[in-house]
Formats: sequence, C-alpha cells, structure tokens
Amino acid sequence: MLTRFKADCPRILAGAMLAAIFFSAASSQVGAASSDPVTTPAVTAQLLTVENGIAPGAGTLSAGLALDLAEGWKTYWRTPGEVGFPPEIDWSGSQNIASMDFQWPAPERFTAFGIENFGYHDEVVFPIRITLEEPGAPVRLSADVTLLTCSDICVPQDFVMSLDLPSGVGIDEESAARITAFADRVPLDASAAGITDVSAHVDPDMRAVVISMRREAPFVVPDVFAELGPFTSLGRPDTRLGDDGHLLWARVPILSAVDGPLQDLSVTVTDSSGFAATAAPRAVSEPPEPPFAFATSGVDIAALIWIAATAFLGGLVLNAMPCVLPVLSIKLATAMRLGGDGRIAVRRGFLASAAGVMAFVWGLAAVLFMLREIGVTVGWGLQFQNPIFLSLTVLVLGVFAANLVGAFEIALPSRLQTRLAHAGSTPGLFGDFAAGAFAAVLATPCSAPFLGTAVAFALGGRGIDIAVVFTFLGLGLASPYLVIAARPGLVRRLPKPGRWMGVLRAGLGLLLGGTALWLVWVMIGVAGPIATLASVAMTAVIVGVLSMRGVSGTARSVTAAALAVVMLFATGTLSDGLSSRGTIASESGGIAWLPFERGEIARRISMGEVVFVDVTADWCLTCKANKALVLDRDPVAASLGSPGVVAMQADWTRPDEAISRYLEGFGRFGIPFNVVYGPGVPEGIVLPELLTADAVMDALDRAGTRRELSRTE
Amino acid sequence: MADRRTLLLMLVAGGAVVGGFRVLPSLVEGLPDFEPLDDPPGFRRVAGGSVSSGFNPFVGLSVGGSEETPARVTPDSLRADLCSHLFGTAARSEGVVPIASFADYYCPYCRVQTKRLSDLASDLGSEVAIEWHELPLLGETSILAARAALAAKRQDAYVAFHESLLTSPFRANAEYLSLLSERIGVDHTRLIADMESESVSRELEISAALSRLFAFVGTPAMVVGRTVIQGEISDRTLRRIISLEREEGWSSVC
Repeated sequence: MLTRFKADCPRILAGAMLAAIFFSAASSQVGAASSDPVTTPAVTAQLLTVENGIAPGAGTLSAGLALDLAEGWKTYWRTPGEVGFPPEIDWSGSQNIASMDFQWPAPERFTAFGIENFGYHDEVVFPIRITLEEPGAPVRLSADVTLLTCSDICVPQDFVMSLDLPSGVGIDEESAARITAFADRVPLDASAAGITDVSAHVDPDMRAVVISMRREAPFVVPDVFAELGPFTSLGRPDTRLGDDGHLLWARVPILSAVDGPLQDLSVTVTDSSGFAATAAPRAVSEPPEPPFAFATSGVDIAALIWIAATAFLGGLVLNAMPCVLPVLSIKLATAMRLGGDGRIAVRRGFLASAAGVMAFVWGLAAVLFMLREIGVTVGWGLQFQNPIFLSLTVLVLGVFAANLVGAFEIALPSRLQTRLAHAGSTPGLFGDFAAGAFAAVLATPCSAPFLGTAVAFALGGRGIDIAVVFTFLGLGLASPYLVIAARPGLVRRLPKPGRWMGVLRAGLGLLLGGTALWLVWVMIGVAGPIATLASVAMTAVIVGVLSMRGVSGTARSVTAAALAVVMLFATGTLSDGLSSRGTIASESGGIAWLPFERGEIARRISMGEVVFVDVTADWCLTCKANKALVLDRDPVAASLGSPGVVAMQADWTRPDEAISRYLEGFGRFGIPFNVVYGPGVPEGIVLPELLTADAVMDALDRAGTRRELSRTE
Repeated sequence: MADRRTLLLMLVAGGAVVGGFRVLPSLVEGLPDFEPLDDPPGFRRVAGGSVSSGFNPFVGLSVGGSEETPARVTPDSLRADLCSHLFGTAARSEGVVPIASFADYYCPYCRVQTKRLSDLASDLGSEVAIEWHELPLLGETSILAARAALAAKRQDAYVAFHESLLTSPFRANAEYLSLLSERIGVDHTRLIADMESESVSRELEISAALSRLFAFVGTPAMVVGRTVIQGEISDRTLRRIISLEREEGWSSVC
C-alpha cells in the first residue's frame, strides 16, 4: 500500500500542500510531524509521520520509524542472519489505532567476523501504514522500541517515543521525503516487480535451497535473501545469471535447520538502482538447473578478461623494473655462456624459471586468499606501511646492488661447489627454478605502484578472481622466460658476452641502488629518521663485511646474517610508533589540503561545498604521478583552490584504521583513491586510479553547483 | 655457479621479506593507552576505540528481574569481595592472570571473543584463568541461551556450547537441548536441571550487577586483571596486556 504513496500524491498536489503547510504552521499550533529524537552514541531514533495532523474523515496515516546509525553501527532486518536481533516495537500505549502495517526496506548483507548478517547501516526508515479506529479523530503513537545495535560490540537499546497528532491538515515535506525514500526500498510483490516463474527446491537432507526466477528487465548485480523461519540459518548464496540476465539462479546453503515442518519459504531479491522484490516460490520436486556450470556471481566476464589482460601486461612490464631486470639479465647471461650446449638445456632452464615465477605467484595468491578468508584485511602496497619490511627490502636491494657493481662476489665454499658440479643437472634446474621465484619475489615491491588496480580487484573479489589475476600476473612476468624456452635460438641473437656486460651490471646495480634510495625516503616517512638512519648504517656495514677480502665466505655470510637480524630488531625498536599521521594539514601546489575526517565530509556537503578526497601515501608512485601531472596543475589545481571546494587528503603512508575502513566502504583495498562529493552527489563519485584532468573537472562539475566558479578561476 | 648460489641466497632473503611483512608488524605494535576508571577504583580501561563514552551504562534489559521484582544483587554488594565475583575462585594466586569474559548469544563479536579466549587459554595453560559470564541482552531466547551456557559451564562445556551456536541458532525446546547435550558431550538431565537452578540464576544476577558496576555499554566485554576491554582488540595486544598484568601485579584491586 505504502509503496504507492508517491502515486497517491502527485507532484501537482505537492505544491498546493506546501502552501497549506506554511499556512497551517503559521495559523495554528498543529504539532510537528516527528517525535523528539532519542539519541545514543550508536543511534538516533525518531517517529515520523507524513501528516501534520489528522484531516477530517482521514482513515489512514503514513508513519515511519527513523533510525540514524552512527558510523560503524548496524541494526538488523526481520531475518537477522546467523545472529542478531530485529527491532521489536510495542505499540500498546497508542490511541485510535486499528491496525498497522510495519514494512521492512530491503536489507544489506554484512559479513563480519565470518558471520553473515542482514540489516541496515547509516540510515533506515521503516515505513508504517496505519489504519485508524475512528477516522478523523486525534491519534497518539507510542512506541516502546527494543533494538540491538552492533559495531564490534553490541549495545541493546530500549526506549519509548511518542507522537501526538491532533486534528488538522498539512504535510511535513521533510518527513514525507524520508519515509518515501525508504518506502521505495520496501520489496515489491513479485508480479508488480516483473518477477515471474519463481520456483524453489529445498533438498530433503536440508543442505541447500535452490531458487530460480525470471525478470522482465535483466538483473545486474542481484543478491538473494531467503527466509525459512527463525531457526534456520542460511549461508552466502551462489548466484548465477542466464538468458542475458533475465534468468536468476541461486543456491543458498542451509547452515542449520529445524527438524520438523518448515515455515514457508520467502525469497527477497535485490539489485542495482534500488530494485527489491519479495516472492513466495512455487515448490518444485527437482532443483532448477543452473544456467551455466561456473558462477559469475555479479562480476562481469568482460571485466574479468580486461583485468586479466591488465595483469598480464603489468606482469610483463615488471620485467623492466629495476627490482626485476637484473634477474632476467643474469638469466640471459647464463644462457649465453651455455652457448653451444644446445637448445634442450636452455629450454629446460628457462621453463624451470617460468615454473619458479608461477610457483611463487600462486603461493602468494594462496596466502592472500587464506588471510582474507580468516578476516585479515589484505591490501596491496600495505607492506610499505611496515618499517621492518622496508628495512629488509633496503638491505636486500643494497646488498644486491653492491654485488652487481662488483663490490664482492658471493662465492661458495669450494667443497660445495665441487659437489654441485658433480651432481649433474638437478641442482642446475633447481637454481633456475629459484631464479624465477626470486624474480617474482623482487617484483612484489615494484608491483604495488603499477598493479594496484588489478590486485585490488582480485583481493576484493572471489577466490576465482584472485586466481585469475595472479595467474596472468605470473604469466606476464614469466613470458620472457617462456619465449626463450619456446625459441632457444633467440639467445644466440643476443650480443656475445664481453666488456659491455660489466657495464650493464654496473648500470643495473645503480638502478637498484636508486630503488633502495627511494625506499629509504619512504622509510623516513614511515619509521622516522632514527630507525631509517640505523637501517642505512647497518646496510652499509653489512655490505662492508661482505666485501672484505681475505676472510672466508662462510664467515662473512654468517656475520652478515647476524648483523641483518640485529638490524631488523633495531628497526622495530627505533621506529617511532606505527601511529597514523593522517591528520596533518598540508599545502602544495596552491591547494590547502585539509586533513581527512570522514564526518567532516557530510558536514561540508550539507553546507553546499564540494569535497575532493585524495587518499595517498609516500610509497604510492601512482599517487605521486597523479599529483604531479593532474592535481597540482591547472585547471584542477585552480578548481581545488577555489572557494566552495574543499580538498581533503588522507595520508596512508602509515597504517590508519579510519582510512582503511573508508577504503573498504568503497570495496577498495589499495590506492590511489580519489572521490568527489558534493550536493549533487552526496554518495561520491569515485575517480579512476589514473587521474585525468578531464575526469576530475567533470566530477567536480557534476558534484557542485559552483560550476562557473571552478571553470573561471 | 656463483650466480645461482647468489640467487639462492637472495631467494631466502626474499622469502623472509615476504613472510616478515605479515608476521613482523605485530611484533612492533605497542601497548595501547590506558585510562583509569573512576569506579571501581584501581581498574583502568583501554582508551579510545569504538566504545566512546556517552552511552548510558548498560543495564541488562531483562536480567535479574524486572521492575516488579528488582534484582536481588546490587552492584555495591559485590564490592567487598569483587575479585571472587568477577574472576571466580580459580585465580587467586599471583602469577596467574584472571580474565572475566562477558558475552551474549545475540552478539556476533562475542562468538569471536569466546573462541579467541579459549584458544588463548589452551595456549597459555595455567598462566591465565578465565571466568565466563553471560549478559543476556535481549529477551527470552537470550536468557535461555545464557542459562544453557552456564549450565554447560558446570560440566566444563561452556566453550563447546558456544561453538555449537556458531552456525546453529539456539532453540529452547526439549529435542534441541537433548541433541545439543549429545553434541557437546554433557549430561542432558543435569543440563536441564542446572538451567533452572538457583545457582545459575544467582550467577546471572551477579554478572548483571558486575556489568552495572563496571558500566559496560554492551557486549562483549572483558576484564583482564585490572584492565577493562570493550570492543575489538588484536590478539597480540591482548597477550601484551596479559604480560603487563602479570608483571605489574593485578591483585591490588582485590
């Protein structure tokens, strides 16, 4: 009924009513159409009515229970999921009420601590359609509300609100708008929503519910909420689309069930642009067939291919990064030395290296997947927030660079060398495998700035996304090896070893040294100057020890390893905490950057300002590029500096919970990340990772009403 | 050959890099800031986090009687022997850090805390002693689940009981309780008898009174020695607080 509210009040009438409100507000003491709010740190609750008073002869009333939840707090749907508790309201103190129709807007799915929940965050208004006992007579609404609100703790709320509506006329526009907005989210009946052929099968041993339905308009990113009564909990559905999106198939696992008769199955389906419908499926004896054997679960195949291609290209490009290039060139040099030893040896060696790359990449994917499954927030580039990781990377790069420029050779004890030489090809192959894996290890630090998008997509997606992205990343990285393995003859086309190789080695060493310097700079930001200085000094000492002549290789290696351990502990102790420094205001390029504060965004928007949020970090090269090429240049710099536009910067160089949660809210796990908010788009426009002036200007225009201002500055 | 050996050495170092960046950050994580509680004296709480002040102190909505039958246990009556009520009798020796855990059936994060504390207890052995409290937040089911949990606790199956609730909603009927007893390996008749017993009722009232005394705003909550923790906390930080309590000595609050 209430969902037709908009139709009942055509826009033409609204203007007349608006006039009536002003008139009635001025002329009589008709009560406001909302109760006094009840406020706790978790939630602010209020009773609303569309009507300011009960008009003569009026037999119905449109009311709502509004809950404004504070950041991080949730409350629950009528079926809360595995745990949780739906709001309960006792209306017994009300007067002149014949019946009530309390409606539940479509819920969201939350997965917290591995537990599935359905409910609401931010804001929800439960629309209530009230039928009066005595039409036209005053009404008293009294609600005793019992509510469970949870963040990482659960706080029960129990409060009474009341609202008196005397005889009178008038519409409260604001209440009406809020109630209508959520009435639109109450699921429609299947037929009204264009849903047909809804069938479901509950398998006899209570393992799963399989649902199938058709929709006139194609589904985009559907989610399915099945309800089988309060004592049955259902897991995360596997949803598949078929027939160009018109067919939805879902299998919902049953986690636990009652023994005995089931409550009738009810299925609520939601989709993009606020679509929601509830249907009572027809029971079928055989489970409906899935449209295809493998799930896409809302992720576009085309997007996956595009991302896979990006990952492959990214992997290929990584070979040219200073971190990885030395490995490839050493590998090629070895192959050249083999020279006439024949194609087979070369082919085997390079295949082993490619296998090494893939082994490491898959291993990493498996670890990341597992970490995500146990609920650890994984992100790409996050390792740069860790001083010990930075310190170790500086050390490895430093030692490697010194080795390349010829400070020392890592020599084996002669005994071992002889043994290896006699052992035939197996250790050789293992060495090749190790070289491949090592190339992949070295690629991790370099990949963060360049592969953020693909990897962040994978980490935010399903297991299959992670598998696809990392596989293609690995294939890209391994492709030079695979090419050589396919055409070993190519090696002979390379110039013969000679003096130039020494020069190349030195050049590569300098590149590595440069990378190490960059990391030192990052480390100053993350760990502070003292820890950084200690790391650099220790790295120098370790390189010095390794370069000592006349001391046995074993002694040098052992000393160096011991010093490395000392160095890592020193870094841990000396680094000046891991606290965030996201709250420092800064100024650059004529833009006064405000520190990031999530609550401030909403406040600024409500004042009609446009807010540009930039999440950045010292270690994020793409962020630096965005800043230098787009943000600090006109026309963007001028717009960001103009009145009415607020530039906000979140510095993620160090770990910061608030920033991580903010990114997670957008389903992002990596940076760069830029959003534009404004009165036009309070929910924000997310900009692409690689900014362009056009994209930023366009978003700023759409967000604000201050188009002219930002154009002309 | 030297090249290969170089690569191998560097591979080991690289592996350490990758392994390290997941494991090591927690090693350098410091202790959280504490702030002293006004009441009860001697206790302190972990500052900051999602549990800001401003909540009304948690008053168990439906435990320990209602308006008609007020709770028999008042918070003030616990002060004289606070530690026994809070930590039970297990933890009266120095060197053992007592932990009081407060949980409810309806609260998602409580299940995580219960599991984590029981893992911690099996890991640290006799270094910690955990006392399980139930704070039923909402309604009949919550109270019955609390009673069943406390009855299971009397047969050393508190954690098993909570784990059995991880995916299966609690149902207050005879078949379910009998099935549950079988699953967690407790005596069914005794479980039912204990659920209705005076000692379980009294324990619920004491827990509710403790929650008012400490002004908990919701569940879960825990008291580690003299440190009150509400909200999410990392395992590492929790272990650090336990060590700190052991070093500083917690018995001053008793």
